[in-house]
Amino acid sequence: MKVCVVLGSVFCGVLCRAISAQAPDAMVALQADIQRAMALAAPCVVRVETFGGVRKAQEGGPAIADGAQPERKPKKKNDDEHKAPDDKPDTKKRGLEGLVTPGFLQAQGATAGLILSADGWVVVSRFALNYDPSTILITLADGRAFHATRKGEDTSRGIALVKIEADGLPVPELLAPARVRVGQWALVLGRTFGGEQPSVHVGIVSATGRIFGRAVQIDANCSPANYGGPVIDLDGRVLGLCAPLSPAGRDAGADWYDSGIGFATTLDDIAPLLTRMRDGEVLHRGWLGVATDPAFAGPGGKIVSVNPASTAAGMQIKPKDTIVEVDGVAVRHHFHLQMLVASHLAGDAIHVKIKRGDETFGATAFLSPLPEAERAAEKKGRVDDPMPWEGEEKK
Amino acid sequence: MFVAFIAALLAAPLSAQAFADAYSFAERAPRTQLERTIAEAMPCVVKVHGASGLATVQPYGTGVIVSAQGHVLALDQVMIQDGQTSVVLFDGSVHQAEVLPAENKLGVRMLKIACKQPLAFLRVPADASARAGMFVVSIGNSFRLAEYSEKLSVTTGVLVAKAKTGLRYRLQDVDYDGELWITDAMNNPGHGGGGLFTLDGRWLGLNAKLATSRDTNSDISAAIPVAQLVPYIERWTLGKVAAVPTDTGPQAPPYHGIKLFDHGSGQTSPPAYIEKVIAGSPAAQAGLASDDLIVRVDDQAVRTCRHFQELMAKLRPGQKINVTYKRGTTVGKGELTLEASKR
Repeated sequence: MKVCVVLGSVFCGVLCRAISAQAPDAMVALQADIQRAMALAAPCVVRVETFGGVRKAQEGGPAIADGAQPERKPKKKNDDEHKAPDDKPDTKKRGLEGLVTPGFLQAQGATAGLILSADGWVVVSRFALNYDPSTILITLADGRAFHATRKGEDTSRGIALVKIEADGLPVPELLAPARVRVGQWALVLGRTFGGEQPSVHVGIVSATGRIFGRAVQIDANCSPANYGGPVIDLDGRVLGLCAPLSPAGRDAGADWYDSGIGFATTLDDIAPLLTRMRDGEVLHRGWLGVATDPAFAGPGGKIVSVNPASTAAGMQIKPKDTIVEVDGVAVRHHFHLQMLVASHLAGDAIHVKIKRGDETFGATAFLSPLPEAERAAEKKGRVDDPMPWEGEEKK
Repeated sequence: MFVAFIAALLAAPLSAQAFADAYSFAERAPRTQLERTIAEAMPCVVKVHGASGLATVQPYGTGVIVSAQGHVLALDQVMIQDGQTSVVLFDGSVHQAEVLPAENKLGVRMLKIACKQPLAFLRVPADASARAGMFVVSIGNSFRLAEYSEKLSVTTGVLVAKAKTGLRYRLQDVDYDGELWITDAMNNPGHGGGGLFTLDGRWLGLNAKLATSRDTNSDISAAIPVAQLVPYIERWTLGKVAAVPTDTGPQAPPYHGIKLFDHGSGQTSPPAYIEKVIAGSPAAQAGLASDDLIVRVDDQAVRTCRHFQELMAKLRPGQKINVTYKRGTTVGKGELTLEASKR
């Protein structure tokens, strides 16, 4: 009996030691989980390289041809003679203005993309196409390289679709935005640096429903090193695509690289938009053209001015009117109105209910894209900043 | 007031004890893998102080001990001047350092301190490999937060990639063109020269200064892989002299038979479209043709004509290269054996 006890305690001691030596270590386990998630998603992550096109040093600044150095001295008159062949693309049509922060010079390094379908539809960051390149090269995880054709894009989400002639490609599992939880792990994969494995930055989901319900916010590095790369969870499912986004009225990208603020546009909820982009459509955020009174407590958004070139002006919306309903949703306050409008795209029809004096009437608004002048004004913070109201959910 | 003074007097010995406890973690049994790695690596990472005076010269940094006899590897920085450089060990002792010749290509420099007892030092691991997504542990003297026996700062992050990416530091291109460990553990000022380790405690590399990647124009934290450092370390610690390749001087670029549409002038250079491939040349044998766009040489993306010429100038006759090209909407590859220049 005694022997049993002694043996038992020795056995227990050995067992305990063995257990403590291999005590479950959260970080070691997480490291393995990260590796596993990466391996699951990696086959769907492609490398995007671009060639040719025009380099935009900064908004409003001179377009610099590829291979040039940024200008550091005032431009002389006769410099014009040395300009590159004039293959300047139609950047206006693509709405590229303002994608690059003033004073920031974009490098033309590789970025990433994500395969969306087995037959070769690939979603990339608009950042990759900032030069309006003449050639886009997509390299798959297995090393095969393809010439890609540029299709449509969504400027409000910072993404573009390209097509390669391939079949049987691996397709990622997309996670519905409603299932994304603040605080969950978020890994951003990229292929900027080459090699067989994707690169990875690790962080958490900081917020959901950002950029008018278009993006999740993460605290992992989100920069040209992984633009176009997927943000995945520990099961390898895609939460979104890393893109240079920022709330309206704020400069995008560069300032925020190292600040722990990155945005990934959601993909699972935009199938209809992807269909439109496949057909080559360029989508923009919708704009109604009213400025509202932030001091008006609500309910509703009280109009203080109407842009004469806007949809609102065409609909005879007038200052002092109050918009009380959008698509059947009661407008709570001015931020809520902006949130409801900005979550739509240009071309969308929204039904608004307007209160004028004692009278209330309904009208349909066909939203237009934000005009150039307005976009510039918004950047300078002159237009009432349509930031989403904290705690608001897209209807 | 008086009561507070008495209380402070009474509390003083206690807090001193707490202070001592907090700083004797080497004696505390580490509970996790991360703590074990830190406990083992920490005594091998040292503070390096150098010449000050110029406002732009940062007079502090980090180094790692690479031999029991007192060899300390650090980044080669302006502050490191003979007679003005000192090393502060784990125990807070300050040692004047002898400054040995630098390795210019790597941007590192060996220091040597005299020591009476053998020091704990970092060993080159048998397996110095790691994968993106693995945790890394980075130790250094960020912002000179640690003085004397105060312990260095530890940060963790993940390995982003092992890659070659051109670096720029304060608008100047960095000479080093080898592979780098890229991490998301920040290399703050002073952290450079510190050690980068895997979670299981293997030494991966020497932290570089926070620099800008020329591929992305964004800041990256990187470390020079141990494998790159070994010849320089062994030269001083073991007296091994690595065979230095004899410099044969500038040579004419090898012959490939490609003429590009190089209509750029001054600062600009267009994409590398082929104007003409000379019949029978290496390029012709590899299947290249006029109007092809050269997009890659081996693993390197070729963005401009100038870039292609620069790559070719580094190569020698007899070398084989893989050229990836775009022809219309197809992408092809050809292997090309370079020949001696026919000029």
